[in-house]
Amino acid sequence: MDMFAVWYFVETTINGALIGLMYALIALGFVLIYKSTDAINFAQGQFVMISGVMVAALAADYGVPIVVGAIVALVFMILFNVMLERIVLRPMIGRPVVAIIMATIGLAAFLEGLFPMIFGATTRALDLGIPNDPIIIGQIYLTPINVVGGAVALTFFGAFSIFFMKSRKGVALRAVADNHQVSMAMGINVERYFVLAWSMAGVVAVLGGLLWGSAIGVDNTLAVVGLKVFPVVILGGLESIIGAIVGGIIVGVIEAWGGTYIDPAMTQPWFREFFPFEGGGTKDFLPYLLMIVVLFFKPYGLFGKVHIERV
Amino acid sequence: MKRILASIAVAGGLAAMTAAHAGEIVIGQMTDRTGPTANVGNPVGDGAQDYIDLINSQGGINGHTIRLVEVDNQYKVPPAVEGYQRFKSEGAVLVGLFGTPITQALTADLAKDKIPGTTPGFGTALAADGEAFPYLFPAAASYWSQAGAAVEYAKQQMGGLKGKKIAYLFYDNPAGREGLPVLRKLAELEGYTLNEFPVPAPGIEMDNQARDIARRFRADFVISHLFGRAPSVQINALKRAGFSLDKVVSFVWGASEADVAAAGGFEAAEGYAGLQFAGVGDDFQVRRDIKAMLKAQGKEVRESMASTVFYNRGLLISALHVEALRHAVAANGGKADVTGTQVRDGFHAIKDFSLGGLLPPLNLGGGDHEGGGWVRVFKVTKTGFEPATEWFKGYRDVVFELIKEESAKMKN
Amino acid sequence: MFHRESGYYKTSYASDSALYPLPIARFAVAGFAILFFVVAPLLVSSYYLTILNLVGIAIVGAIGLNILLGLTGQISIGHAAFMSVGAYTAANLATRFDLPFWITLPAGGLMAASIGIIVGFPSVRIKGLYLAISTLAAQFIIDWIIVHTPAISGGFQASIQVPRPTVFGAVLDTQRELYMFILVVVVIAIVVALNIARSRIGRAFIAIRDQDIAAEILGIDVRRYKLMAFAISSFYAGVAGVLYTYYSGVANNEFFPLVVSIDYLAMVIIGGMGSVLGAIFGATFVTLLPIAIDLVMTSVGPYLIEDAGALSGIKSHMRLVVFGGLIMFFLVVEPEGLNRLWLNIRSYFRVWPFSY
Repeated sequence: MDMFAVWYFVETTINGALIGLMYALIALGFVLIYKSTDAINFAQGQFVMISGVMVAALAADYGVPIVVGAIVALVFMILFNVMLERIVLRPMIGRPVVAIIMATIGLAAFLEGLFPMIFGATTRALDLGIPNDPIIIGQIYLTPINVVGGAVALTFFGAFSIFFMKSRKGVALRAVADNHQVSMAMGINVERYFVLAWSMAGVVAVLGGLLWGSAIGVDNTLAVVGLKVFPVVILGGLESIIGAIVGGIIVGVIEAWGGTYIDPAMTQPWFREFFPFEGGGTKDFLPYLLMIVVLFFKPYGLFGKVHIERV
Repeated sequence: MKRILASIAVAGGLAAMTAAHAGEIVIGQMTDRTGPTANVGNPVGDGAQDYIDLINSQGGINGHTIRLVEVDNQYKVPPAVEGYQRFKSEGAVLVGLFGTPITQALTADLAKDKIPGTTPGFGTALAADGEAFPYLFPAAASYWSQAGAAVEYAKQQMGGLKGKKIAYLFYDNPAGREGLPVLRKLAELEGYTLNEFPVPAPGIEMDNQARDIARRFRADFVISHLFGRAPSVQINALKRAGFSLDKVVSFVWGASEADVAAAGGFEAAEGYAGLQFAGVGDDFQVRRDIKAMLKAQGKEVRESMASTVFYNRGLLISALHVEALRHAVAANGGKADVTGTQVRDGFHAIKDFSLGGLLPPLNLGGGDHEGGGWVRVFKVTKTGFEPATEWFKGYRDVVFELIKEESAKMKN
Repeated sequence: MFHRESGYYKTSYASDSALYPLPIARFAVAGFAILFFVVAPLLVSSYYLTILNLVGIAIVGAIGLNILLGLTGQISIGHAAFMSVGAYTAANLATRFDLPFWITLPAGGLMAASIGIIVGFPSVRIKGLYLAISTLAAQFIIDWIIVHTPAISGGFQASIQVPRPTVFGAVLDTQRELYMFILVVVVIAIVVALNIARSRIGRAFIAIRDQDIAAEILGIDVRRYKLMAFAISSFYAGVAGVLYTYYSGVANNEFFPLVVSIDYLAMVIIGGMGSVLGAIFGATFVTLLPIAIDLVMTSVGPYLIEDAGALSGIKSHMRLVVFGGLIMFFLVVEPEGLNRLWLNIRSYFRVWPFSY
């Protein structure tokens, strides 16, 4: 057992980065909404969960093919998000951050109660037909679902970047994100672009539901992927799509390194004698630690926009 | 003002349900139908409810009906404390607890109120010691016993432990780490190398640990102790890392139909083995009786019955409760007004109770409230769970010695 | 209706910020004192006392979060972690050094306050969502450290059995005795919070909430007051944690997960940010709501759904739906929370029978 073999380091890093891209995909939904409507969505994990549950339940209980189920979920999520924006979040524009956070936390509870009532609380598999056998390149094993997830995530990031940079709608959306009133004065229909932003977040949620659902199975607990969003978006900066990707990769790689090099050391008997710690997993908690350190030096994240406040 | 108005409103709701009626025995049952462990709580709660319905449809205990008061504790402490007091105010003589923190929070109250509580599959391993915890009945293998049994199973599978490498893949919370003292002690005794692989909550990603087990540490056997979504993630992660599932055994909360389903079905998870403290599968008289009863009452067989691992544990919980109550009622001259202490003695009187093979032969007398720490390994085949062993105990002497040591420490 | 407010003129700043703005307030306070100290413990059954106890502990925690969130405008999603700090501090002091509750209670609060200052440090530089998430990180980090340090958590189970509090040699262990114990702490917590709010410190907090840059220009030491708000708020949380520990006889980190932090946020927001009364309303409402929904469903449900098993499932999920739905409803329809509803009712009766 060679603790520090180079091939193992490479394998760990690549797999970590791929998983990080899958985190970034979830974070993207969060960033899209925050960027254009200033709303903070703590229910992003629940969006992923309900789209996953819907596809899996339609497939398992009614025999609907996954592709059809995904389209149904897509339509539903877009309609749902548009309604949500109209009924709950638009009246709250301009209210304190914490009120919006709380409203989406309420929404999360609402969805966690509603969906098991409709579709049952059982756990279901979501089989996308991605094989489980590792992809072997030389000495390095890659996990297929991570490769697919990473590729899908990258494709979407590319598509969104082009959309925001090149298309007329994308530029308008950026203007809306920058300043609602000025955009309105320039003749942009702000409300219509809110709808667009929320619809895109719905699309991302369905993708996340499919990928994560097939990786870990589908029931209420799928919503915990939402917790991964925060270190990703804070590290990358809340307003930046590139930031979400970089943040995701950082989080994935840090977790992988922590799990590979710190955890095994911490669980050794000599460590217990040396430190008054009962060794444990640092993996999921390192990103939060790193995030706090980064916030001390760059209070708006690595790629975030610096706000200049005026009295 | 607000407070009083609210309590009046609540009192209105309660008016219909006051203390126990004559000829009625009340059991308080906690479940966690919502919250982080809801996927367990729903089938367990259904099983517990259905068994009581079955007993009542057969005429109850000595003609007395049983009323099950269920409270959903959401795996949180305040609702559990409130629920426990509600049980008490409704005259419950027996409480089914659910969840380790809830058990921790109510242990002192149960002892003070002299109401026995059952905690199958969670809570502290020390509760096996009937002298230290007179009103707590785990009545099923604790995590320590499971650790002992898992090592025993690994020994059988590998034909000896000397020089082998065992990986313990565990959820990094107090309950997950509880297997450690036994595994470390047995490592000294049996001469295997133990490596610990903590999985931090929520455990939705285990790629790293799995590849570490399979490719760097090259474990000969994996003992895993995971909760929630983590077991299914583990099954897939180990497979993706190229580790054979035949060399894995899970503790009791990591091998249910839901976990297998989430991992991609029985075919995908073939070979994966899990410890169980209640039988798995449909082929039990009590399940046939419940189906017949539901049919006779014109109700549908519920979906959760297919989740046999958890549903059967619900049956176990209520069957134990009913059995203890039977003994208590008999000791009370056939009358329904039993006390908590009588019910406790009822538990002690349980002897070789197996519910037609669904349970190991349970004996709760003689100071061992765990009933011996029996488990049985069920393995995933292409079609479902198949038993891989008979009911057995592993390293019971070592485990019980540890229990005695620790509870002696606690008294000081 | 009962009382006219005319004729009382506030002629000085002191009278404007007095604790009892009107003479009737004294009578009301006396009335509540008799109700809660005498009538409730004598007449209310132990089940309802349990609910009052849970509400009381929640009030202490909610008042603390309200000082941070409502008065100072700083968000914290790590409130439960400070409760955990308080709980383990008290448990260690009580079991290792046999210290009585009147030492462990403030000690737990002080320890939580000092950790609170550390967690509050980022607030000097960051605000809004970034601050919210750094406190979320604090929740995870504090939790992790406690669970992984046997010296704090007392071993594998991370739980420490704590003897119940004793007063003059008598052990307080029934709901009724614990009620009196908790009630005294709650009253102290309320009185202190009311006085903080009307003092120089409270006014500084409010100035920071409304515009921290403007506050700084006015000469308020923003950094110091922000940290002070974190300290006071964490102190309250720590005390609430100690109360939980004595109440259940055990300190355990699983009592204080993230969802508990979120529950406290809900209390402050539903109750109405920035007022002590609002925090009390919020704590009461959030604690009682699930119980009330459960009881209503239990008594009405059997007439709607015959199958007991199916009913239990629906009941639980319905509770989540109603809870989440009500939070959204309140935030959209009545942003200032229950406190505003109460003020509306009061001002309706103040001018009764006229409508203005």
